[in-house]
This record gives sequence, structure tokens and C-alpha cells, in this order.
Amino acid sequence: MMKTYSTTETVDAVIIGTGAGGAPLLARLAKAGLSVVALEAGTHWNPARDFATDEKSQEKLFWNDERLSAGNDPLPFGSNNSGTGVGGSTLHYTAYTPRAQPDDFQLHTDFGVGVDWPMGFDQIEPYYEEVEQFLGVSGPAVYPWGPARKRSYTLGPLPINGAGQLMERGCKELGIKTSAAANAALSAGYYQEGVGHRPACANRGFCQAGCNIGAKASMDVTYIPLAVHYGAEIRPECFVTQLVKSASGKISEVVYIHNGQEIRQRCRNVFLCAGTIETARLLLLNGLANSSGQVGRNVMAHPGLQIWGEFDEDVRPYKGIPGALISEDTHRPKDHNGGLVDFAGGYLLQSIGVMPVTYMTQMARGRGLWGQALKRAALAYNHVAGINILGDCLPYDHNYLELSDEKDIRGLPKPRIYFTNGENEKRMTAHADKLMRDIWTAAGAKNIWAFSRNAHVIGTCRMGNNPETAVVNANGQSFDIPNLYISDNSTFPSALSVNPALTIMAVALRTADRFLRNAGGNPLSAL
Amino acid sequence: MPYPPNTVRDLLKTDQVTEATRQELTERLNTSSHPPTFFTAQECDLLQAICRRLIPQDDHEQLIDIAGNIDKRLTENKGDGWRYDVMPADGDAYKLGLKGIDESALLRFGQSFQSLSTEQQDVLLGAVQKNEAPGQIWQQLPADRFFEELLTEAAENYYSHPLAQEEIGYVGMADVPTWQRIGLNQLEDREPRAEGI
Repeated sequence: MMKTYSTTETVDAVIIGTGAGGAPLLARLAKAGLSVVALEAGTHWNPARDFATDEKSQEKLFWNDERLSAGNDPLPFGSNNSGTGVGGSTLHYTAYTPRAQPDDFQLHTDFGVGVDWPMGFDQIEPYYEEVEQFLGVSGPAVYPWGPARKRSYTLGPLPINGAGQLMERGCKELGIKTSAAANAALSAGYYQEGVGHRPACANRGFCQAGCNIGAKASMDVTYIPLAVHYGAEIRPECFVTQLVKSASGKISEVVYIHNGQEIRQRCRNVFLCAGTIETARLLLLNGLANSSGQVGRNVMAHPGLQIWGEFDEDVRPYKGIPGALISEDTHRPKDHNGGLVDFAGGYLLQSIGVMPVTYMTQMARGRGLWGQALKRAALAYNHVAGINILGDCLPYDHNYLELSDEKDIRGLPKPRIYFTNGENEKRMTAHADKLMRDIWTAAGAKNIWAFSRNAHVIGTCRMGNNPETAVVNANGQSFDIPNLYISDNSTFPSALSVNPALTIMAVALRTADRFLRNAGGNPLSAL
Repeated sequence: MPYPPNTVRDLLKTDQVTEATRQELTERLNTSSHPPTFFTAQECDLLQAICRRLIPQDDHEQLIDIAGNIDKRLTENKGDGWRYDVMPADGDAYKLGLKGIDESALLRFGQSFQSLSTEQQDVLLGAVQKNEAPGQIWQQLPADRFFEELLTEAAENYYSHPLAQEEIGYVGMADVPTWQRIGLNQLEDREPRAEGI
């Protein structure tokens, strides 16, 4: 039975959003004995009953309120860069969970561009370990890149599918080191107190459209049940519209819409965990926490170029964990002659399987194929495999979010997001384009083609030490409103050269611990 | 047809697909065309003619109703979470884009799009895709983006359909027994083998 709280009582904390930023923090605060309520805009699904193995019907997992994409490289949202439902975008993340490396947190120190994080790897590492253990991350016995792990992955790696085998083959030819990737999907059954038993991955390959057996560690089958176990209340289908500031300068009340009704919840603290776009949008709508003028600024998105090829072998790219194989040899890459590259930071390489509708729509959008050409290329679906990169992205003044004059179906201004890759991202992408084509050629690919993209929208509420240039401090606390915290990918000062979910969860736990510690073991007295 | 027919339809009758999956795909298989509610009948006919060139279905006994699905989505005012800032709202973009294609057809060939030969239709659509089609409408609506959005939505609708999935040999929906043979050239018994490619 889930504990419930009345809207007339003042709860210790309201958490807005139940994805990678909200759910771990919610569980931590509940465990500490705080009265906590999570408000989630989307539905609380029952995956076994509600999730079909059908991409079209699973579009319900995406944040489908319209956003306006501007700039020279407009960002797609919906299936990418968004999520809704209890669990947020972890419902459709690929579960790829590499750690960032220590130098990812100090790009400015190392390259003189971007900004450093206000904390180092050493601050985040214990939380990486905790999250990996709790989720049951499957990974190799020895991970070849970054600092030596203090504790090995909980479970052995997931089996390598066709795309992974092909990338292994191509990389071997070129002398690039590869490894089974770390994925937050179970290679064996797993039991956690407060969560229960979760089964091993069925190799269904449908991570990006929702796991229907709970093998993938989305928040709805991990931190959310843990939070409920410790007394948190989850309220789905609650869309927050206002944060009410009292005369004391603190947030005293959160206003939300549920079933068309406006409801108010009194609270002592607010944790905003709605993701890069909605977190910034809510603050801008309410004119809050923006004395720095930085809310909405510094939008970043990983260069995520994909290279696809057709192989003689049967690949059947719908089977197995999509991102089975990784290389981080390009974390701080050399140029193709072994010299210095002409860009800052670096990227990782990942093999990718793909669901059919995703692949076909990418061929339509990215390759512009239609008519018999599209149908012919589609017939090769069972023989295609891909590789992609995830690379660091620098913050620029020209990349930002603003509120437009156009209203969405809720009557609220649609966000407009400007995004244009800078010189650094273009050079990195050109480097990766050549390298991945070489790998695929070495692996025996034909009809190689590139799909340009940026993935994982990051930034808009930068974390830092200076209230004039950052929105929150290293603890995630607003510089302007002492009882307002942000815990999601909006606070990342730099994009990191890895998928963000694991780091979002790790930083969320750190934010929760800092909050609890600053409250001196008795949060209520300090509030 | 490199892959045998009826694969997905046969699997839907077995316990190798979940109930949720069976419901969605069976409903899609059984959907029949209905009069348009967002587009006028003329607009819908034109959209259908365009979609037949974008994704030919000449070899199908049962037509996948791409235009009907687009009409349904726009009637329900559903979106996919974003749009290009340079584009008007989806419904307006479609109405304007259809006008633009007929305008271009008249300017280029002196006839409406539907009166053109399939070769002429393809030439015209190619020009729209490259933003090289003549006409006033394309001064207000970026032709290349309109084409990209239309083509993407058409491809999404087509390849979501069980019949199109049979065509490409996809049976990923039959996942109840789990997939154990996932490496190169490893197939489960229920995965169709290509014939003659």
C-alpha cells in the first residue's frame, strides 16, 4: 500500500518529475523519513499489460506536447530528448550506462573551453557505484577505460548481438580496443530489498520503446518502488503549472492540474526534476530563480552521428540489447595520422541495433529515400547494423531555450529551442565520420550511409559556484530561492562524453545527501 | 517478394506475441478506409496520390492507408512532440503543401498533379524535395522541410503496418519465447528466411 498525504498538510518535499533526476532522490528522502510527494505529468503504466512490441503504439512514452526547434541544427524531440510517465525518459532510454571519466568534469582546465563542473569525479564516483549496484548494471569484469573500478559490475555483460560482433570485427582490424558495454538491463535475475525480483533481459531489443518485463532498470521498476516502500507518495497525471513563493522568499506551495482540476500542495521544499526543457520552462513561466539570467541558456546536445551499413550476414537488428559493444579509445582521440586533433574533448563509440520503424523513418528523413529506392533499402533491414558516437558538446550563447508566443494544448507558451552545432562539434563529427566509415568498411559493410543527429538535450539551469553565472550551486540548490533544488540534466555545466542517465542518477543521490546533511540529520528543524 | 507472405499474420494467431501486441497489430490490420475528416475529399485524394509515389504499393492486395492515418492524426490534433520552427502548425503545413504541389504541377506541366504521368509526378516530387519546385506557396512554406516531414510520416505509417513488416521479414513482435539466437547468422525457427536474395 502506498502512503498518501493530504493536500492540506505541509509535506517536507515535493518532487516534480519521476525520471532519472527525481526518482533516486525521492527514494533517498523517503528513506530518511521525510514526507515526500512526487508529481508526475504522465501516466503510471503497467508495462506487462500496457506495453506492446510496437513502436507506433509506444509513442505514448514520449513527451508529445509540441516544442519548436530552431537554429541551424534543430533538435528533434518526442522520441528523442523527452519522456513522460512514471519513470520519465528512463521508460525509453537505451539503458546505456557508461560512467563519465574524471577529465570530463574539467574541460575548461584541460582545453580552455566550456566550463568545469563545481565538483570532481571523486565526489560522484561513490554514487556511480551505488547506482550501478542498485540497478543491477550488467558489464564486463574489467572495464578497459577510466580509473580502475573499486567494485566490479554486479552482473556479467549482456550477450553481444550481430551489430556488436560486426563492430568488434571492424575495430579489431583497425587496432581499436572494444569491450562489452555497461547496460542497466539484467543479464541474470536480480533481487533488491524494497523492489523485489526482476527477471533477466529477454533480448527483445525494444529498450527505446519500453521494456515490458522489468529487466531494464527504468525508474518505475527500481527507485520508484523503493521510494514507495519507504513511504513516498507518487501522484501521476499531475502537471505542475506554478511554484508559489511566500513573503519569506521560499516556495510554499506547488500548483498542479489533475483531471482538469487545479490542486495546491503545501510544502517545505521543492525539487525540480522535470528535465532540461520542462525544468527551465517552468522557471521561466513563473519568473523564478533567474537572477543570473542563465535559466534557459547553455543548451547542449551530444553529437550523435550514426553510421549504418548493410552486411552479407543476417543481422536481424531487432534482437539483443541495442548498445552491446563500446569503445572509449576515442575519449581523447588522435587525428588520423596519430597527431593532435583540432577539437576539444572526445567521444565514445557504440554498436547499435535498431527497431524497424525507427530505421525506416531515419532513412526517409536523413537519406531522403523514397519510391522504389526506399523500398529496396528497406528490404535490407535484416542485414543492417550501425555504430554511433556520443561526444561532448560545448555551451554557446547561440544555443538556448525561450518561451514562444504560441500556446500548446494546455494553454501554456511552447518552448522554442535554438540549437546550432559549433566548430568543435563539427570537427569532432567529421573525425568520427571517417573513423566509423573505416570501421564499417573493415567489417565488410556495403551501402554505408550517415545519419546526422544530436542526442540528449542538456543544460538550461547550469550548476556552478558563482551566482552570477549559474542557476544552482554544486548541491543543486537555487542561489535565489533557498528551498528550491534542481536535480536533472538541466544542471550539467558541460555535456560529458557519455550518455547522461547514470550521471543524472548519481548526482541526484548526491543532491539528496547534501540536502539531508545540511539539514543536520534533522531536516525538519532546519527548514 | 524476398520474404514469404503471412509471417506476421500467422504469428499473431499464436501465443508467441503478447496480448497487448496482438491487439495493436490486429487493429491496424483490420482498419479500413473512411472518408476524411480533416482534409477535404479532394485534398485526401491528392495526398493519397503523392503517398503512392513516395511508397509504392502496386504489388499489394490490401492497401495500407497512409493518407487516412495522417487525416486521423490531424483530426485528433496529435503531434510528435516537436516541429521545425520554420514550419507552420502541422495541419496548416499539410493543407498548404498540398496546394503547393498542385501549383507546381500546373506551372511545370500545365496540369494538376493527379493528371500527370507517374514519371512526371516523380520529377515534380523530386523538385519539391530539393526545394526547386516553382510556385508562390513555396515562398511561405519551405518545400524541402514539408517534403521531409511528409515522407517521414508516410514511412512511419507504412512500416508500422504488419503487411509492410512481412515484406521486410521483421518478426520482432513475436517476443514471448525470448530471443536466444541473437548473433550473426543465428536465427530462431520463427524468423523467416529470405528467398532468392
